Amino acid sequence: MIWLSWRLFRIEAAAAAAALAAFTVLLAVTGPHLASLYAASGITGCHVGSCGQLADNFLSLLGDSSIYPVVYTLGIVGIVLAPAVIGIFWGAPLLARELETGTFRLAWTQNITRARWLTVKLTLAGLAAMAATEGFSLMQAWWAAPISQAARIAPNAPAPLGFGPFNPLAFAAHGVTPLGYAAFAFILGVTVGGVLGRVIPAMAVTLVIFAAIQVAVPLWIRPNVFPPDHAMVAIGSINGSTRTNINNTFAFTVDFLPSQPGAWITSAEAVNAAGQPASSIPAACKASGPSVPHLGSCLSRQGVRIDVSYQPASRYWAFQWIETAIFIAFASALTWYCFWYLARRLS
Amino acid sequence: MIEFHLDGRSGVAPYMQLIHQVRQALRLGLLREGDQLPKVKDVAAGLAINPNTVLKAYRELEYEGLAAARPGIGTFVTSTLGDGSLAAHEPLRRDLQRWLAKARRAGLEDESIEALFVSTFRSASEEGTA
Amino acid sequence: MTAVLEARGLGKQYGRLWALADCTLSVPAGHVVGLVGPNGAGKTTLLNLAVGLLAPTTGIIEVLSGPPLARLARIGFLAQDAPVYAGLSVAEHLALGAHLNSRWDAGLARRWIGRLNVNLDQKAGKLSAGQRAQLGLTLAMAKRPELLLLDEPVASLDPLARRAFLQDLMEAVAEQELSVVLSSHLVADLERVCDYLIVLVASQMRIAGLVEDLLVTHHLLTGPRRDPATLPAEQQVISASHTDRQSTLLVRTRRPVLDPSWVISRVGLEDLVLAYMSQAAGPARHRHLEVQK
Repeated sequence: MIWLSWRLFRIEAAAAAAALAAFTVLLAVTGPHLASLYAASGITGCHVGSCGQLADNFLSLLGDSSIYPVVYTLGIVGIVLAPAVIGIFWGAPLLARELETGTFRLAWTQNITRARWLTVKLTLAGLAAMAATEGFSLMQAWWAAPISQAARIAPNAPAPLGFGPFNPLAFAAHGVTPLGYAAFAFILGVTVGGVLGRVIPAMAVTLVIFAAIQVAVPLWIRPNVFPPDHAMVAIGSINGSTRTNINNTFAFTVDFLPSQPGAWITSAEAVNAAGQPASSIPAACKASGPSVPHLGSCLSRQGVRIDVSYQPASRYWAFQWIETAIFIAFASALTWYCFWYLARRLS
Repeated sequence: MIEFHLDGRSGVAPYMQLIHQVRQALRLGLLREGDQLPKVKDVAAGLAINPNTVLKAYRELEYEGLAAARPGIGTFVTSTLGDGSLAAHEPLRRDLQRWLAKARRAGLEDESIEALFVSTFRSASEEGTA
Repeated sequence: MTAVLEARGLGKQYGRLWALADCTLSVPAGHVVGLVGPNGAGKTTLLNLAVGLLAPTTGIIEVLSGPPLARLARIGFLAQDAPVYAGLSVAEHLALGAHLNSRWDAGLARRWIGRLNVNLDQKAGKLSAGQRAQLGLTLAMAKRPELLLLDEPVASLDPLARRAFLQDLMEAVAEQELSVVLSSHLVADLERVCDYLIVLVASQMRIAGLVEDLLVTHHLLTGPRRDPATLPAEQQVISASHTDRQSTLLVRTRRPVLDPSWVISRVGLEDLVLAYMSQAAGPARHRHLEVQK
């Protein structure tokens, strides 16, 4: 059965190997120079006050070149898309093709139980999926280490090089989450394929469901894993922007907290001197006009401060493991369902 | 060694056809005492018929004393059908010629004669083997 | 003699449709069984139940005295249209069989594949329907089964391929202690090859028995016009047709027909099957089909 699984999986495995190999070459060619640029930037061993500026300079330098942003983005996007590709091209056809072409009538009448048949197929492709995606991710993370370190402390870092660890794309591409996504996407594809029994519809449905989940989780689930920490900061001390609306309300967006490098800013609320939420421009400041810096200092004089909700960088790995565990749990549930479905419903 | 053939549309059961062909071969001298009949497997594969059919025919031949099975080796002819040559039946042939002349004089055409002969022959055979 | 395939009250329901209903049979070992019926009669359903690809809704099915899934090592199965992995070569299909089965006769497999006259590295997707059927048969045979189940194996084959397939099958039956159940909607093929018959029509089994037995117990009665209900009770009327003067009845009985007003003739297997296939649905003792001419 191992021989048969491998023989039927050969092409998919070869495609993945080719993609990984190509990417490895790309990283190997650009990596050493990146490392030397980082060494020359002076960020290692910088003095506390100047680190931010040095990091900014380093990232601007990289950003101006044409290679590094492209390779970095390619890597991130590739890793984020990999689970979906795996779910569609490895997962969906696994059961669906057998059902559609009728070969299950050949496979399941040999001297092998359906449970063993499915176990071997799932193990082979599932482990390959997880290994490939995580390998991809680790390689990219290793290559981009200089960039990540700079991005944590650079206040004005431009995207994409300036992605902090909690940036949705970066979070999905680094750490252990790729493992969870790959496992889940794969078994999702297998399950959808088994239920629908046709390859192309299964591919489409898998894509839609997985995409929806990958949008919903960072939006609605990830922020609620831990209650955020709060910090009350003065308007002038943060990097961010103020926005005014037509009905005389204003709002703040905070991009970076100097006291919390690498943190995930989840929200920023304006609070008046009494500690209550403030959103309408006080009368005293209306005269300042639409010009933003003046509005900021005016509000400041009125005692308005910003209540920043954030997840500190120290929680990064907690978030990573919890989210991965959630996806692995769902993958396990789907796996159990697949076996049940194979034994019961497909009879 | 003789080779069998089957007429799917003759209305005669396959095993009977095999028996007839063996007897015919014996009569014509194509099969002699001691000759081996084709193996059951080869007949079944060659004609695409059930081996049980062949076995039934060979058993019938054994019952009639024309053949004998040697386990593990095959089935062999054990006796001939009297004198194998048609010439020995000259009296029967003359009887038949006289009957044919009678039928012609009665006004029967060739087809009617043939029909009369075949139907009588068939019902006689059925009575004989029922 | 042990039954090689046994069913008791077997039924399979899809939604509200019964693909197979209340099927009870006991097929003795050592025969080539023809499973005949029109398309949609339930032949594929019965075979799929026998090999564990389907689970019964009602009743029991036993193969070689056990549940199908426990007997997969001793059953060979060839599904309709002989499914193969298009991307695998012929040789790789044989390897599939060798890997997935504990009993595998590599010599038999090679001999049979040799007759296909095809390159062993040929992808199975490029084979003709006849070659696929013979590859499928090879795979089913090389595991040395005690029972072979074939679902319409010759339906889509040209006459030459059909003959070749049946020749191979008969050779296998002659060589080994093998029971075969093969389904078809063409009766002519089965006549030479089958010695046991099961007729399935509209999800129900109409008749089952040794061909020899069936041919001896069925008679075509021709005589003056007569109401079938007036016949003796143990003469079961299968089909009847009447003109104003004459009745022709197909009758099943174990006892000799002694009524002198009847001319009794034999029934051919094909006519017998057709008569059962044109019966109206439902159980009955004296069912007949009136055809006014």
